[in-house]
Amino acid sequence: MKPLKATRENLRRHNRQLLLRAVYTGLADNRAALAQETGLAKPTVSDLIGELISEGLLVEGGLGESTESGGKRPTLIKFVPEARQVIGVSLDNGRAFGVLCNLAGQVVAQHMAELDGAQGDEALAILTDVMNGLIAQLDAPLLCIGVGVPGAVDTASGVILESYPLGWRRLALAERLSAHYEVPVYTGSSAELTALAQYAFGLNGDDQTRNLVTLLVTNSIEVGITLNGVTYHQGGDISALRAADRLDALLGWTAVQQRAADLRRQQPNSTLPETGLTYMHIHYSAINGDPAAQQLCEELAEHLAQVMGWIIGLLRPDHLSLVGPIVNLGEGFLQRVVAKTEAMLWPEVVRPVVFSLAYSGNLSAIGAAALALHRELDIL
Amino acid sequence: MSTRRPLAIFTNNPYEVFQRDVIQGVQDIAAQRGFTLSVVQVSAPPHRLDDLPLDWQRLAGALVVANCLPDDLLRALHAGGLPLSLISHQVPGAVIPGVMPNNRQGISVLMEHLVVACGCTRPVFIRGHMGQTDGIQREMAFRQEVMRYNLSVPPEHYLPGEFTPAIAAESITRFLQTRPDFDSVLAADYLMAEAAMRALQARGWRVPEDVAVVGFGDGPEAAQAGLTTVAADVVELGRRGARQLIGQIEGLRIRGLTLLSTELVERATTQPKRKTDVLSGT
Repeated sequence: MKPLKATRENLRRHNRQLLLRAVYTGLADNRAALAQETGLAKPTVSDLIGELISEGLLVEGGLGESTESGGKRPTLIKFVPEARQVIGVSLDNGRAFGVLCNLAGQVVAQHMAELDGAQGDEALAILTDVMNGLIAQLDAPLLCIGVGVPGAVDTASGVILESYPLGWRRLALAERLSAHYEVPVYTGSSAELTALAQYAFGLNGDDQTRNLVTLLVTNSIEVGITLNGVTYHQGGDISALRAADRLDALLGWTAVQQRAADLRRQQPNSTLPETGLTYMHIHYSAINGDPAAQQLCEELAEHLAQVMGWIIGLLRPDHLSLVGPIVNLGEGFLQRVVAKTEAMLWPEVVRPVVFSLAYSGNLSAIGAAALALHRELDIL
Repeated sequence: MSTRRPLAIFTNNPYEVFQRDVIQGVQDIAAQRGFTLSVVQVSAPPHRLDDLPLDWQRLAGALVVANCLPDDLLRALHAGGLPLSLISHQVPGAVIPGVMPNNRQGISVLMEHLVVACGCTRPVFIRGHMGQTDGIQREMAFRQEVMRYNLSVPPEHYLPGEFTPAIAAESITRFLQTRPDFDSVLAADYLMAEAAMRALQARGWRVPEDVAVVGFGDGPEAAQAGLTTVAADVVELGRRGARQLIGQIEGLRIRGLTLLSTELVERATTQPKRKTDVLSGT
């Protein structure tokens, strides 16, 4: 009988999600309209709406218009975004960055800690310490948690297959965290969650993008993909792919710092700082004529064009977005990369693609919250 | 009657605007959660645990505002097992959590407003207290934004302010005597910005026609002065700090920083270019 029970529970969960989504998206705002829009029987709708109201996710408020044939005015039903909260945390760019969101995806608190190269259990401890920082700020019950990890992630099972920067291999992260926090936990790769956040919140309202590829460049190189608005979960870390060398040996931040030091030695008058280098320093020095910085930008543009060429050649996206601190090299740098990509492929293939820089540093954490919310309530 | 051990908040001056608002936020949450709160004024920084003006072992936990207690003492308290939360401060090498406004984001928003919206290219920066994390982070963020917009800001355009309005006013007055070439002032806090604005106006400079003035943070004084700011809700900073501390008291192990977002509050001390000016490049 167990499978039958599971099926009934699944059906009930599915129907609850259907009703919640209908109210959330404004498709229907009363019981009769919900029955009509979802195709569910009126008693089922009444039963489930009663359950969702008692849980605080929906609330009754005011009366709607009566139908053309007259009759009783329906009681309106509204979604309550503040009824629950969701945590999204991402471990990329050398830090654990978390957001606490309401059910509409609005960020109500942020918490971050540096990873300082932590790996294995130490990285896991920092992750939970950051989650605890957000749990302390909860002002509604916690619904679920999303976690973004650099590397290869099996989103369906919540297992981290391999995360080189964190030293995690075959780690059942969702299961471990779920047992600890007693709420559902969902995982994804940082880049796919960045793409999801960008697709859900980051694009202009009039953007016609259907196929978005996000290229996340930190100390690793990752690709996130949404196809027809749906996250494609098989993207991820491509750091080990090779152009002239492994991609992370060409584009990863550690490699960029080393190359900057080499070029500074060759150009003793370079204005690139010896310590505390950032992409902003490289940008500033390059546009002010520093030969070392200019050469570094040229090399980075060459390597990125190679990656973008692969992506465009294989996937033909409408929109390709560069994410990570490298965006501080600015629009001029992006145009250089695009020009090199065009020279590599046919210009007709490259020109329809919209290229952009995404400056927000917390996209993957927001994407982690969006993934959790989507998987748990099927909204966003 | 509550049998819980009390919370304490350490500050150098509970009557200053920033500290007063933090304390108010902490009091809100402490009362909600059934804790009593002792406000402890630290006039001279103690160097040993025994020098603290109360028995810390009787506390449930403590909040510390800015750098009013030395880092070594904070490390000792933390090592002694006292739950701690730092307000606008960080202790290098220690895993003591804290709450802070998002300084980088706030300065970035102010600079975008000055440079992109108002067309300013020659800013002056009034520094905060360079022994405090807020002061250090806001100046670092300013320098990053200077590079982003490829501006040239000479060293003499970085003025001392110490988060003290009188020092900011004195600095800008002295700066004006050098017949400087500048078109905007960004102060590391809004009280210094307001003082700078008054000093400029007293010497015949029109704000915003001759010079735009902006400051970090927001409060009734900024609203009254018509000052453009980025609002960092300081009462909320206190509330978040109290929640973080109580979370630790209740058994949560926390490290890192809870960050508060900031938002541009556009008022009369800046004058964004009209759209037609932007399009024609004037």
